Amino acid sequence: MTSNRMKFVASSLALAMSAAACNTDNLTNLNKNPNNPEDVPAAALFTAGVVRGVNLWLGAGYDLRGAEFVTQHLSEVQYPDEDRYVRLTGGSTQAYFDNPYIQQLEDYQKVIAKGNDAGEAGVYGPAMVMRTWEFGYLTNTWGDIPYSDALKGDDAAGLLSPKYDAQKDIYTDFFATLDKASKDMAAGHGSLGSGDPIYGGNTAKWEKFSNSLRARFALQLVNVDKATTTAQLNAAFSAPGGVFSSNADNAELAWPGDGIYNNPWAQNFATRDDHRVSLTLMNLLKSLNDPRIPIYAQPTPADPSVYAGSPNGLVATSMAPYITSASRPSALFYPGNTAYGFYGGNGNSFPSFLMTYAEVEFIKAEAAERGLATIAGSAASHYQAGIRASMEQWGVPDGEISAYLAQGSVAYKGGTEGLRQIAAQKWIALYSDGGTAWAEWRRTCVPGTVQPGRDASQSAVPRRFQYSITETSVNGENVSAAIAAQGADAFSTRMYWDKSPSAAPTYFVGCGVRGQAPPP
Amino acid sequence: MQRHSRLSRLAVATLLLGIVPAGAYAQQAVTVSGRVTEGSRNEPLARASVSIPEFRFGAQTGLDGRYSFTVPAENARGQSVTVTARRIGYAASSLTVVLRGNAVVADFHLAPVAAELTATVITGLGIEREKSKVGTAQQQITSTELNQTKSINLLEQLSGKVSGVQITGSGTQGGSTSIIIRGANSITGNNQPLFIVDGVPISNTGRGLTGTSGGNAAGGGGTPNGGYDFGSAVADLNPDDIATMSVLKGPNAAALYGSRGANGAIVITTKKGPSTSGRVRTEITSSFSWDKPSILPTYQNLYGQGAGGEFMFVDGAGSGVNDGLDQSYGPKLDGRTTGCTFKSGTTEYDTSAPCLQFTSPNAASPWVAHPNNVESFFNTGHTMSNTLAISGGSDRVTARISVGRDNVKGYIPNNDFSKTSGLINGTVRVSSKLTTDGSLAYVSNIAMNRPGVGYNNGILEQFVWFGRQVDMNALRQYQQGGATNGGPDNREFNWNYNYHNNPIWMMYENPMKDTRDRIRGSASANYQVAPGVAVNLRTGADIYRFNVDQHFAPQNIQGNAIDPAYFGGFTFLNDYSKQVTSDLSINAARDLSSKISVNATLGGGTHQEQFNTSSTVTTGLSVAGIYNVSNAAVTPTLGQFDSRRQVNGVYGDLAITMFNWLTLEGTARNDWSSTLPESKNSYFYPSLSASAVLTDAFPKLNNGTISFLKLRASNAHVGADADPYQLRTTYAGLANKFSGLPQFSLQNFIANPDLKPETTDATEAGLELGMFNGRLTLDLSWYNKATRNQIFTIPVSPTSGFQSKAVNAGKISNKGIDFLLGLTPVRTVGGFEWTSTFNYSHNRSMVDKLAPGITTFVIGSSWYTNIEAREGEPYGSIFGYSFDRDSATGKIYTDGGLTVLGARKVLGNIQPKWTGGWSNSLKYKAFSLNTLVDMRRGGNIVSITNFFGEYSGVLKSTLKGREEDWDKPGVVVDGIDINTGQPNTVNVPSEYYFQNIFPVMEPYVYKADWVKLRELRLGWDIPTGWASRLSARAVNIAITGRNLHTWTDVPNIDPEFSYTVGNFQGVEFAALPNTRSWGLSFRITP
Repeated sequence: MTSNRMKFVASSLALAMSAAACNTDNLTNLNKNPNNPEDVPAAALFTAGVVRGVNLWLGAGYDLRGAEFVTQHLSEVQYPDEDRYVRLTGGSTQAYFDNPYIQQLEDYQKVIAKGNDAGEAGVYGPAMVMRTWEFGYLTNTWGDIPYSDALKGDDAAGLLSPKYDAQKDIYTDFFATLDKASKDMAAGHGSLGSGDPIYGGNTAKWEKFSNSLRARFALQLVNVDKATTTAQLNAAFSAPGGVFSSNADNAELAWPGDGIYNNPWAQNFATRDDHRVSLTLMNLLKSLNDPRIPIYAQPTPADPSVYAGSPNGLVATSMAPYITSASRPSALFYPGNTAYGFYGGNGNSFPSFLMTYAEVEFIKAEAAERGLATIAGSAASHYQAGIRASMEQWGVPDGEISAYLAQGSVAYKGGTEGLRQIAAQKWIALYSDGGTAWAEWRRTCVPGTVQPGRDASQSAVPRRFQYSITETSVNGENVSAAIAAQGADAFSTRMYWDKSPSAAPTYFVGCGVRGQAPPP
Repeated sequence: MQRHSRLSRLAVATLLLGIVPAGAYAQQAVTVSGRVTEGSRNEPLARASVSIPEFRFGAQTGLDGRYSFTVPAENARGQSVTVTARRIGYAASSLTVVLRGNAVVADFHLAPVAAELTATVITGLGIEREKSKVGTAQQQITSTELNQTKSINLLEQLSGKVSGVQITGSGTQGGSTSIIIRGANSITGNNQPLFIVDGVPISNTGRGLTGTSGGNAAGGGGTPNGGYDFGSAVADLNPDDIATMSVLKGPNAAALYGSRGANGAIVITTKKGPSTSGRVRTEITSSFSWDKPSILPTYQNLYGQGAGGEFMFVDGAGSGVNDGLDQSYGPKLDGRTTGCTFKSGTTEYDTSAPCLQFTSPNAASPWVAHPNNVESFFNTGHTMSNTLAISGGSDRVTARISVGRDNVKGYIPNNDFSKTSGLINGTVRVSSKLTTDGSLAYVSNIAMNRPGVGYNNGILEQFVWFGRQVDMNALRQYQQGGATNGGPDNREFNWNYNYHNNPIWMMYENPMKDTRDRIRGSASANYQVAPGVAVNLRTGADIYRFNVDQHFAPQNIQGNAIDPAYFGGFTFLNDYSKQVTSDLSINAARDLSSKISVNATLGGGTHQEQFNTSSTVTTGLSVAGIYNVSNAAVTPTLGQFDSRRQVNGVYGDLAITMFNWLTLEGTARNDWSSTLPESKNSYFYPSLSASAVLTDAFPKLNNGTISFLKLRASNAHVGADADPYQLRTTYAGLANKFSGLPQFSLQNFIANPDLKPETTDATEAGLELGMFNGRLTLDLSWYNKATRNQIFTIPVSPTSGFQSKAVNAGKISNKGIDFLLGLTPVRTVGGFEWTSTFNYSHNRSMVDKLAPGITTFVIGSSWYTNIEAREGEPYGSIFGYSFDRDSATGKIYTDGGLTVLGARKVLGNIQPKWTGGWSNSLKYKAFSLNTLVDMRRGGNIVSITNFFGEYSGVLKSTLKGREEDWDKPGVVVDGIDINTGQPNTVNVPSEYYFQNIFPVMEPYVYKADWVKLRELRLGWDIPTGWASRLSARAVNIAITGRNLHTWTDVPNIDPEFSYTVGNFQGVEFAALPNTRSWGLSFRITP
């Protein structure tokens, strides 16, 4: 063969080889992800975090398919497995445990880091508050949870199996976090601006939310650590910015109702007709002639002049009649057209309440009645202010509020009975926030009529949920350690702040157990 | 001597490259020439190799079927030698000639044959080799074998025909067919083989649409949890265009393809045009079949809709007694017209109350079963396939052009599918040194209303949650609206308004159309730079667009719920896929001496992949019936994902054949991949193989009983890269803004900048045996392979803030045996022949190691039941809830007469013990009968259809405990009371018994043994005289059948199902059964 041919062959091959081997720069660049950025503004993370967090804790998952039935604001009339606690096992509720860590808590973590790097308390402060608000639901639902080691999977050390912290320590850090958040924000640097879907970047409001939340957590410990409760309540009330002082301060998320981001209850009710107002809530409202009845409930499908509750925790066949004979939840949460008829109207854009002024007034009322903190004003005045705040929040006309407060049965009685009244009103006011209402009920045993339904799989109301089955498989050792420290991974195990239920003045023997009579 | 070596180079080059030197070199010595033909009309057969094995002199035939080569004077001593002609798919033929004088003429006529141990086969990189010289496992399927019966998925036609290969057909017509060669290598990566058509890799991406409420995550198909299975891309090939399919079993055979060949490769060559001296050949194949679902659940017909024995329809949404429920634990279907509900406070039927139904909500109507209400939902579908091919050529140019068309009318209402394909192949011999080949294929797939699969979208899911009294014919009148029977006036007429849409309404009012337009093309040039040395340049591309337009009517509540405030919604999906592969290689062959010959290839190339997808979804339209983005009342959710990958490689192959019976071959390849970190993106893989034909080495072995014996062994090391974008953690944008605010979230996956390639080491050994003059053939392989440093995303504690992390870890090993046994038990002079082929595959996979601290990896999950890779167990453990049992006796615990939820544990494994296929062919003169029996033994499947079918009371098995009445005699579980330790005596109604089992999947894990009569073909070749009037060589008419019968103990479902080409297999829910079809076929061979 001629040498020209050989040259041709050799050069062709050399060309091919060099194209193949030497082009690694271009190869590497080809693998730069064209779909996702490697850095984004803090505000965009914060927005997504808030929306997801509210959707979970006050939405169709944790709340509408769990906490609302456990606390018995609502009952489940079709395939009532959650209401019977059957589908509340670690396999069914794992997403409520797993997702906040994977999604919004990790994102808040990044917002806090970015805010710290920039020295902007107005950026990291709200993220610290939101993070604590969410961790509150987590620890109040499961007890000991990963906290100090959590959310560090992408750190240099790469902590992939975080240890579980004791609830006591978690609460201690809640107080420290909220203390720092409100103090730093008071110094006033930076803001999330319009990326803050709750207060639009108003850090003064975030200070109030931070302090109010601190008061919520302070009171939660009262049965086991009254000294901390007192110290933290005093600190919360005297912190810069103060606490909520009107409904204008409420931490609420306004839903655009654009079909994509709808109020999560309305979103659920558009196609599902599983929920009715619980008989437990309805009986309490009726016993006090509560003007919130036509707001919290709709007339029964069977009779437009009747408002009725349905019992919790019956099997499907027993529950079925209540589909028509019990009230659907508030029309405020209905979007208008649903798959089964027209209800409500503007529910898609109804806000979700993260924490309200009414709750703060009830905290003050209880603190005043029990002398837990230095409180201006009497227990009775805060009790009434709480009721008024709640009713105004839900749109009860002023005249009806006054008439309600004027009733003998509603008038503040003081003492243990007064505490029972405060707790009952707070529980009523927490309608649509099943998780907080459940934590309150566990602390106070009010209302005493909360008991498992006839066909519930447990004879006592759950004190907690079971750990996520994801965790038992991927973080088994730490889960085992948590179980060893806290007690069996069962509905009946009491978490740290629930260890001395009888310390509550409103406690009664048999609280939350099927067949036990509540106090008269 | 110089001349000699030049000549032998020439001879070997022509042998290898198929280029006939024009005007053969004038020689003193003996020129051997002749013509190779095939068929009854002695058509020329191109690319057959003709050689004198003794000397290794030979040539390939040209397009005119002619060959010529010269034996040098020193070899031609007037002796007798054997000249052998071989061609892929044909039995070799030999003649004895005497090398004396100037020229010897040897003409051959070759007959097609299925499996022949000594035939020419296609190996890695499309190189044609004599099978006797190949040291790795390979099986070739001819067009005839492949096309016995017609399925619209090519791979289903392959099912049962290849050893070492597990093919799982999809029930959905046009759905995904999974193919795994010798077990799964990778935990999370791709386990499907590489498909190569005419030297160019093509995409076999599966496509699905999963998720509800607007979600449209791309998957490799559907899942038991729901979705639509759009099939896998290899199904675009028209089986009638395929000349051969060569299955390279595993990394050993496919080492030259690099990482993408780690799971084996299927090398397909399409039919080329013959040289016909300008005459046109016309080839027609036609088939028509009638299709039905092969297996439907056995329903009970004793109890209708309702619960606790009661039912009364008022509005189908809960206003009547149990009328919102979609289960069948209602009153007995005994024709009663009154007394379907109890007197208040009793369990005594109130005979003063009428039985009301959705068909007559205001008046009493007989409460009767409609036993065929599911079967009558389905139609008899039909499939019509036609291919017309025209081919022909001269000695310099040949071409073949074909047009194919499949029309499928699905057995589901308003479901149809069509495929139009065109292929043009051409070869031009530009000069004696340069040959060019070109191929261009176009395929258009259009499908309407592919049936949904799984929990949220499945057609059969509708009938798991169903009232057994429901009259399907009444549901056909869905236009009359919901108000006519007391339901919501904005809804369609239906039997239930809580959970379901009318199944017929769904098929007509929620139309979904998907189309895939595909172009595949390749061009190659082969230039002979010197005798025995050729340069080959090839480039090819496979490009398709795929789009789905899914429309949802207002009030759609199933699968994709439409916001009831608006007027319907849509999902639009667009994919673009492009793969381009270019290669330059040089091939050389040389006889170093009369005893040693060498065959070498050196090459390099690049492979680029691009995939883009975008989606537009809304759950609300402003105006009904206009499915356009401009009509979206709810801001559409947009999705976009772009992915690119490039792999560059250089490779070499050196094969040395010694003494004409021993071949040693080594291959080496180095790849550079874009998806690995710069410092670790280069990986090298070598392979070695040996093949020894003992009957040639020791001619005494060839004693009349044994005619052929070959041993082979090989070892290969193959690398594989990662999926794109696993090196850097990024933020994911949320598709929608919240009140105008942008939203981002850190991705849930921890990237790993230190990934390295995963590696598979494989060793195999094999034996190929021919006995009794070829009437018994055996091709047996043993293999052992292990994949290490798997790139997979290990699950991490979600509390770390992430779900998973990309790591290199783990080891999966697969060991197995497979064989192909061919027998010709009867062959008479009268023309009767019975041939029988049995193939067997046994693979034992083992998850030897996962990542540190990880003992299990969840591959997929449905209803608390996972398919997992668990350390120390075979790949594919079924993990779910069991019954709580007494540890001493193993008996089930009961509490109040009901079973008790126990621990989650391994309930089975999806790996079969073995799979096999047994085909038989009986031929007598013009008649032929072919059957294929396909079988699987061992391993488990989970059936959620059975699980929910019992929960809802529709299956016949739920009559247990209500043989007499809804609550009689009741069920007494054979168990031990957990409270007392005594045998259980509590009697519970069957409804409570079955519904209480949730979420225990233990009783619904079945042994997945089955035997299927997969193919049946009764054919008749019309007399050649008649055929010639049609200008045809042969005309065959046949009756065909597919999936005619299944023998299995698995109740109610087809135990063979697949929703995807992905790794999540073995969990069934609402899978459509494989299609049973009867058909006619007609084939004109020119």
